[in-house]
Amino acid sequence: MQTLTRFLGNPVALIGLCLLVLVAAMALSAASLFPNNPLDLAGRPLQWPLSNPRFWLGTDVQGRDIAAVMFYGARVSLLIGVVATLIAMTIGILIGALAGYYGGIADEILMRLTEAFQTLPNFLLLLVLVAVFGSDIKTVTIAIGLVSWPASARLTRAEFLSLRNREFVEACRTIGMRDMQIIFREILPNAMPPVIVYASVVMAVAILLESALAFLNLSDPNVPSWGNLIGGGRAVLRTQWYVSAIPGVAILMTVLAVSLIGQGLNDALNPRLKRR
Amino acid sequence: MRFFLFAIRRLAASVPTLLIVLAGLFMLLQFAPGDTVDALMAQMGGGDSAMMEQLRKYYGLDATATVQLVRYLTRLVQLDLGFSAIYGKPVIDVILERLPATLLLMASSLSFAFAGGLVLGVLAARRVNQWPDGVISTIGAIFYATPAFWLGLMGIIIFAVNLRVLPAGGLEEIGAGYTGLRRAVDIVWHLALPTATLGLIFLATYLRIMRASMLEVMTLDFVRTARAKGLAKAAVLRRHVLRNALLPMVTLVGLQAGTMLGGSVVVESVFALPGLGRLAYEAVVQRDLNTLLGIVFVSALLVICVNFLVDILYARLDPRIAN
Amino acid sequence: MRLTRRDLLVSTAAAAYAATRPDVSWAQEQPKRGGTLSVHLPGEQRILNPAIRASTGVYIVTSKIVESLVDLGADGKPTPVLATSWEATPDGKTVTFKLREGVNWHDGKPFTSADVQYTALELWKKYLNYGTQLQQYLEAVDTPDDHTAVFRYSRPMPLALLLRALADLGYIAPRHVFEGTNILENPANTAPIGTGPFKFVQYERGQFIIAERNPNYWRKEFPYLDKIVWRVIADKSAASAALETGQIQLSTYSGLSLADYDRLKKDARFDISSRGIEANAFNNTLEFNVRRKELSDVRVRRAIVHAIDVPFFIENFLYGRGKPATGPIPSSSPAFYPGGEVPYPHDLKKAEALLDEAGYKRGADGIRFALKIVPIQNGEDVPLLATYIQQSLSKIGIKIDIVNLDIAGALSAVYRDWNFDLATGWHQYRGDPAVSTTVWYRSGSPKGAPWTNQWGWQSDAVDKLIDEAASELDPGKRKLLYADWVKVINEELPIWMVTERQFIAATSKQVQNHHTSPRWDSGDWHDTWIS
Repeated sequence: MQTLTRFLGNPVALIGLCLLVLVAAMALSAASLFPNNPLDLAGRPLQWPLSNPRFWLGTDVQGRDIAAVMFYGARVSLLIGVVATLIAMTIGILIGALAGYYGGIADEILMRLTEAFQTLPNFLLLLVLVAVFGSDIKTVTIAIGLVSWPASARLTRAEFLSLRNREFVEACRTIGMRDMQIIFREILPNAMPPVIVYASVVMAVAILLESALAFLNLSDPNVPSWGNLIGGGRAVLRTQWYVSAIPGVAILMTVLAVSLIGQGLNDALNPRLKRR
Repeated sequence: MRFFLFAIRRLAASVPTLLIVLAGLFMLLQFAPGDTVDALMAQMGGGDSAMMEQLRKYYGLDATATVQLVRYLTRLVQLDLGFSAIYGKPVIDVILERLPATLLLMASSLSFAFAGGLVLGVLAARRVNQWPDGVISTIGAIFYATPAFWLGLMGIIIFAVNLRVLPAGGLEEIGAGYTGLRRAVDIVWHLALPTATLGLIFLATYLRIMRASMLEVMTLDFVRTARAKGLAKAAVLRRHVLRNALLPMVTLVGLQAGTMLGGSVVVESVFALPGLGRLAYEAVVQRDLNTLLGIVFVSALLVICVNFLVDILYARLDPRIAN
Repeated sequence: MRLTRRDLLVSTAAAAYAATRPDVSWAQEQPKRGGTLSVHLPGEQRILNPAIRASTGVYIVTSKIVESLVDLGADGKPTPVLATSWEATPDGKTVTFKLREGVNWHDGKPFTSADVQYTALELWKKYLNYGTQLQQYLEAVDTPDDHTAVFRYSRPMPLALLLRALADLGYIAPRHVFEGTNILENPANTAPIGTGPFKFVQYERGQFIIAERNPNYWRKEFPYLDKIVWRVIADKSAASAALETGQIQLSTYSGLSLADYDRLKKDARFDISSRGIEANAFNNTLEFNVRRKELSDVRVRRAIVHAIDVPFFIENFLYGRGKPATGPIPSSSPAFYPGGEVPYPHDLKKAEALLDEAGYKRGADGIRFALKIVPIQNGEDVPLLATYIQQSLSKIGIKIDIVNLDIAGALSAVYRDWNFDLATGWHQYRGDPAVSTTVWYRSGSPKGAPWTNQWGWQSDAVDKLIDEAASELDPGKRKLLYADWVKVINEELPIWMVTERQFIAATSKQVQNHHTSPRWDSGDWHDTWIS
């Protein structure tokens, strides 16, 4: 609980939390504010913001209401961020835990695998996965999770390496606890803090990766996403730059929120750093 | 001599990883819909199936995936990266042509980020929790969160289109025939926006690491001892704190070497730079396996080299580690 | 007869139009010699040899270096280049070309009929896309002397078709450079050797190609330009920036984005138009996988077409550049255009009625059935049309999912795996329906051949009409056969040509004598100059 107080007392963390709440509010209110399908043709394309009272953020290249796409897009970005992060963290933690706990051959093999994924530039692997498995939003999310797990594996492994020889683990072994129980019930909860902090980094990167894919027109066009808006606005950048500018600001705000929260968590869990 | 042996050992240790990566990528790409002949058809605007058969045989695509993989690995062992389907030239030639642009971009943005992060991180740490710290940290956080392609696009709109002070893209004036210093200046001018785009984003990370690292070191015992002995704050900073605080920064450079290529795909695309990132993207779209695997191979070698250098630098900075 | 009079009218109009074009220096200005023309090159080709690769991406560079037997003149009719005259026997099976004398290759060797014989039999017949089909009945090329080539066919070859096609598919390669070598790996494929007004100098991959004036060109006094530089600029906005800063003076074949063309047309420094590219008309297509139960019913296909408001699409997404198509033959091809109305105009009520009639009522959620559409990404407008189709069909209760694949994936998904319900892409019309258009409708194309009939649809009547027209020697009768053909395919609707479009070029006003023939960008530019 001390951690929570510290977290909420940190102005940086509070700003991040507020921004995230704002984005979440956009996501939740999308359906009630914009009852029609945001992907439908709403009006003449490329109208400037505030030029038509119906579209206060204007319309995009496909004639869609930018405000509607912005609100529904919040859902997509948050969902992709959360799900991809869950996938990446699950894989990473599993591999890191097994490698750190058992050591030996298992560690060698799992670390070689992790190294392999880290040697391959992650955006390149993402491009290949999308080329092979398609641009459906589910596939893209899983692919982003698949390219983001190595760092959390290393982190978990490092924690497990230092924790596995502690006395409390010895004690568990003595009373005959099974390995799986030790790993998941005893060691993991203690290893979590730095890993949780890292989750915010993974989420920030996941959102940025999806928007980069959408920018290259490799994401799912059946889903209202901020990245798709930016990509679509690329052709009209010289004259209707707002089509790309507005969603860019939204992505910036969301990623900022997530990373500020991560920073706050880090500071809250490591109070020593705050002292002078 | 020991150094050399160490280097060889390092390289040898990475061989299994490299093999996993290349073989894995090769097999993964076999499942991609369409092959390089389909991409060629798209470029040509059409063709009949007899021609497509002939081309498939020409590119060696008529053999099974396993046979193709064995052929590829056999060539690789002889350090032959194969022929590029897109360019009809040896892959190594294609890569060497595109390498300079990427290296220039990466070197300049990393240097900019490292130097800027260092200076600003120190500044923020010295005035921790006062307003300079707040401002620097906030700006850092904002740049960290900005999508690189968006920052690049905005940069183009402001500086190239509206203010017309910088070129909108490309590496240099083509066909202008500049040489020597004039050419260098031309390239610097063209790389200004791309470097700023990537550099500002990297800078945010370096800034944060430097600040945290400085804060950590400043509370350690030996610093307090030095202050107690009467050394001025600046001298303490320079001689004791900085050296130790640099360690995580150097580690970061090693870690970022791996993401070099990934970051450059998008920036090279926005600024139309003829680099490896764009080449890798083209290779995926046109299913040119030889080129793609060649790029990954070269990139992996680069990462190994950089990490090796980082380890050496590490040992120099902290004598405890060398032992 | 009505048709011949109309033909006459059209060709006189064309001639009159040609005479009034202001850029043709019939008037006062004297052509200036010298200067460098910088041209936009949006993508790089793997092989720069027009004798084995037929595409505008190849011609934009190589047609200044390598020449064809014929080219198209200002009136759209074949004019002599390497062939000075031609003659066909009444049975259409023998065509004799008299070749130009005193022409040398860039490496000094003389151009002779042996080059023509070799190119036709070894390159066009075996490697050239669309050439293999055009010359499939070519049996031999006789060379009674150094300047005569006699083409002998086993089936009648309509002379008009052959000549019109040879403008694109008639480039001659030097025999002494290619004979006995591995054709696809010959270095001359990226360093072309030809007889044209410009000589190849350098190709810097990813950057530029340079060609210089040929001082020994057979058209004495030409070319006017000293040098041509093609700059590789893959990004469209970078290209328009380059045009505006003067780095390039010409960008054609819609190398810039539609939004930029719209913006630049107000700029007094540039000429934005589709003049001089009429020979390369294209359509946006909507392709049906007739194997799918719902799409096997022609009423459903017609309903889908009725649901799409094409004029709205053209006005708002194509900046007004294009027209609704009446079939696969464009109105810019007067020799074959049968005229007529747009077969299925926008009519939502009719669309709903047809679907109800076909038995596909709306469900509780308002949806009748769902389809997948695969955009085949030839241009920036393809995903726009795919989305517009998605938006339009949702109004009549058909849910559309867009499957985003890159070009290699899309071509193989549609034409090899038949893994699609709808597809949208481009159809390119190359001057004569027999070249690359009828193959979209004729049965018999093997699986995997892109831009051919892979719809799971076939019609004997259509096949018969296509085959007859391909070997009908009388131009008038040919035109009638194609008119019948268009009527039948519009009724059956295996695919639908949505729009009829022209490519757009942006040319700096400094360039003189530009776009003076219907395939000028693929021409040799020997009389182009810079003021």
